Amino acid sequence: MEAETQAHDDDKPAAHGNGDDHGDAGETSTDGGDTELHGLLAEFETPGALIAAARKVKNAGYTEFDCYSPFPVHGIDDAMGIKRTKLPLVVFGGGLAGLCGGLLLQWWMNAYNWPWNVSGKPTWSLPANIPIAYETTILLSVLTTFFGMWAANKLPQVWHPFFRLDRFAKVTDDGMFIGIEASDQRFELEQTKQLLVAAGATHVEECHTDARPEARSVPRAIYGVMIVLTVAALIPFALAFKARASKSSDPHWHVFSDMDFQPKAKSDQPFAEFADGRANRGEIVGTIARGNLRADDAYYRGLRDGQWITELPAAFKVDADKLNRGQERYNVYCAPCHGFDGAGHGIVPERVALRGGAWEARNLVSSDSVVIKMPNGQLFNTISNGFNTMMGYAAQVPVDDRWAILLYVRALQRGQNATQAELPAGAQVR
Amino acid sequence: MSATKKLHPDEKIKADKVGGTLFKAGLGAGAVLLGISIALGAGKGDHWRHFLHAYLTAWSFVFSICIGSLFFVIIHHLAKAKWGIVLRRQAEFITGALPAVALLGLVFLVPVLLGNENLYYWSVKQLHDKQHPFFHHMHHKMGWLDPVFFAGRYAFYFGVFIYMSTWFRKQSQAQDTDGDAGRSEKMRYWSGFAVLVYSLTTVFAVMDLFMTLQPLWFSTIYAVNYFSGAMLATYCTLGLMSMAIQRSGRLTHSITVEHYHDVGKYMFGWTFFWIYTAFSQFMLQWYGNMPEETVFYSYRMFGGWQIVSIIVLVGHWAFPYVSLVTRWSKRILPILAFLAAWQLVFHYIDLYWNVMPNQTWETAGGWIRGPLQGDPELHKVNFHFMDVTLLLGLIGLWLAAVGKSMKGNLVPVNDPKLGECLAFENY
Repeated sequence: MEAETQAHDDDKPAAHGNGDDHGDAGETSTDGGDTELHGLLAEFETPGALIAAARKVKNAGYTEFDCYSPFPVHGIDDAMGIKRTKLPLVVFGGGLAGLCGGLLLQWWMNAYNWPWNVSGKPTWSLPANIPIAYETTILLSVLTTFFGMWAANKLPQVWHPFFRLDRFAKVTDDGMFIGIEASDQRFELEQTKQLLVAAGATHVEECHTDARPEARSVPRAIYGVMIVLTVAALIPFALAFKARASKSSDPHWHVFSDMDFQPKAKSDQPFAEFADGRANRGEIVGTIARGNLRADDAYYRGLRDGQWITELPAAFKVDADKLNRGQERYNVYCAPCHGFDGAGHGIVPERVALRGGAWEARNLVSSDSVVIKMPNGQLFNTISNGFNTMMGYAAQVPVDDRWAILLYVRALQRGQNATQAELPAGAQVR
Repeated sequence: MSATKKLHPDEKIKADKVGGTLFKAGLGAGAVLLGISIALGAGKGDHWRHFLHAYLTAWSFVFSICIGSLFFVIIHHLAKAKWGIVLRRQAEFITGALPAVALLGLVFLVPVLLGNENLYYWSVKQLHDKQHPFFHHMHHKMGWLDPVFFAGRYAFYFGVFIYMSTWFRKQSQAQDTDGDAGRSEKMRYWSGFAVLVYSLTTVFAVMDLFMTLQPLWFSTIYAVNYFSGAMLATYCTLGLMSMAIQRSGRLTHSITVEHYHDVGKYMFGWTFFWIYTAFSQFMLQWYGNMPEETVFYSYRMFGGWQIVSIIVLVGHWAFPYVSLVTRWSKRILPILAFLAAWQLVFHYIDLYWNVMPNQTWETAGGWIRGPLQGDPELHKVNFHFMDVTLLLGLIGLWLAAVGKSMKGNLVPVNDPKLGECLAFENY
């Protein structure tokens, strides 16, 4: 039962001949009665022989065996009867998790936790997120490939019983080995040995391990080192949390001072290098920013050939949506003074009157009101630029909305001055 | 370990009458369809405007497969690749169609020389007039966009393509007869130079032929995007062509599922590279949001073209990408054939999406009026039946030209690495 004996029984003891080997192999046996048979290790000369032998071992019904070679041997999986790896599926899951995680991360940071306007794009904007989601997909795919492969190969494995055999060192150089474990149901020492010899092994060796429990446990000191390292790794986090939770009168640490202090001037800052002392250079003479030409006089100013227009401008398309929009904007901007019905009894004049003052808002709808006879262009101009104490609304209300308000005012005027006869049947006021 | 195998003794490796049949059928069908297209183009009464755009789209489809095959040959030698030696001769046959493709290009080249503005609007002399609305934007570019210079460059590009492809094909076929392994060394030596020349020629050819449809638009990755679509179409074509050849009883033992598996892997890879370049182009322009760049996408992102954009994204990338992920979809040949045909169709739709919007964009005053957002009338997909007849017609003529060059052996029988290719297996 000693490894020594087997070595001398071998047909080809050549590789076993030197003194060092012998001494180490002897160490295995000096453990004496506490050893336990781990398995058999057989050496083969070529990758071809290894494949043929692996196939024989598989066909003999063994399952607990493995092949060892210095380089990947194509076709060995098939010969050993190993099924195709499930790793791609795991990697797919990892990649999917990376994709979703990357998107979630960006949604949380850019749209939820701290919404940030970048050049007018929506805060959560898919095209902007694709590059990072792509990177996180690759990152998690690669990590699952790498560690999935480790797990599938039972790594990390710092030690293996076959390491006790000196011959096994050849596996990193030119040795091809098959190792059959004693735990295999079909394992019968002599029969298995014969099978391996018949399969073309140049050398078959028994492998014994130390059966004492203390020889199989991890030394205490290693646990100690791991605990110390783990605690040390928490120190940076502890410092960060301390900084977040406490107050300090010290200035910030500027890790990237060239990012924190950039040689640039923002639009509204002073800037001595320019003659006028301003950073903002203004519009370039003779140019108009895109979209700011506003050549349509009727639409933007309510004018045609210097006269107020009486119709609506061609660029303003009238429909029910525009009228509703006009009502909504009117109720926001005009009704506080002019009232919801346009008769000038808004909440502001009422309140000023209650406190003893006078704040008159024009009645927009009475049949003798100047507003009702006003050309559309002039009314638009009044909405835009104001009249007397009324301020202009051009800054708050876009052009199209101002025309919509005008449209609604005209509808109010028409409605407030309708006669009974004009109303549809059944809608007359009693 | 490199296992080798010999050609199966019963293998039929001669092209025989395949080339002749292809030539006759392709020429007949192509001529008839081209005739129908010309009649349709004349009948439309838009001064051949639609015809020229649709013709350029169809032409770019066959052109892309030719230059893709040329790259396949060059990169094969450069990388000393073994897996695809059984497919290499077919790629060499396809590059044999380049002279015919060059001649077919005269249909849009001659109008440029005649100063016709219906395809490349820069070819009109009036642009040199300071009163022309485009003068300010265009006058720095008019030296490059000179019709005669353009035609000269066209001749140069095709000279380079045809010379390189003919050299590689002749060397490869000469090896069939004399069995000189040194020819492989020689081709590998020159493939390094060839790949550099090829890249520059392709980039400039694509820029001239397709980007100048919109000469005021900028993109530095456009040619790479076209190239990636071309390579995708090439692998799809090689896969389908091999299946067709095997159906005729030839090469039945030499091309195995292992080779198709690799074709499938490349289809997967180029599908991704295509979307990678397409998205790179889109994202930078979308993010930068500069009018001279976004003009390309703002026309294609609204109205009828929006639907086409989504169809291209889903059909050319999402669906085939997911379908090609698995191992079995590359190894079950009917599925692989379906996906190859699918990607060829969508390669055409991608080219259509690239070329055809220019036909309406420019007449609608796209440049002067800006992005044209919101008016669905201006974003209409200008599909016409002649788009289909022109595509099929040009594919017919192209197949005829491929058939014409299909002579001798269907595999490079004396390639020193052929044995390893025949024994090739995916582990």
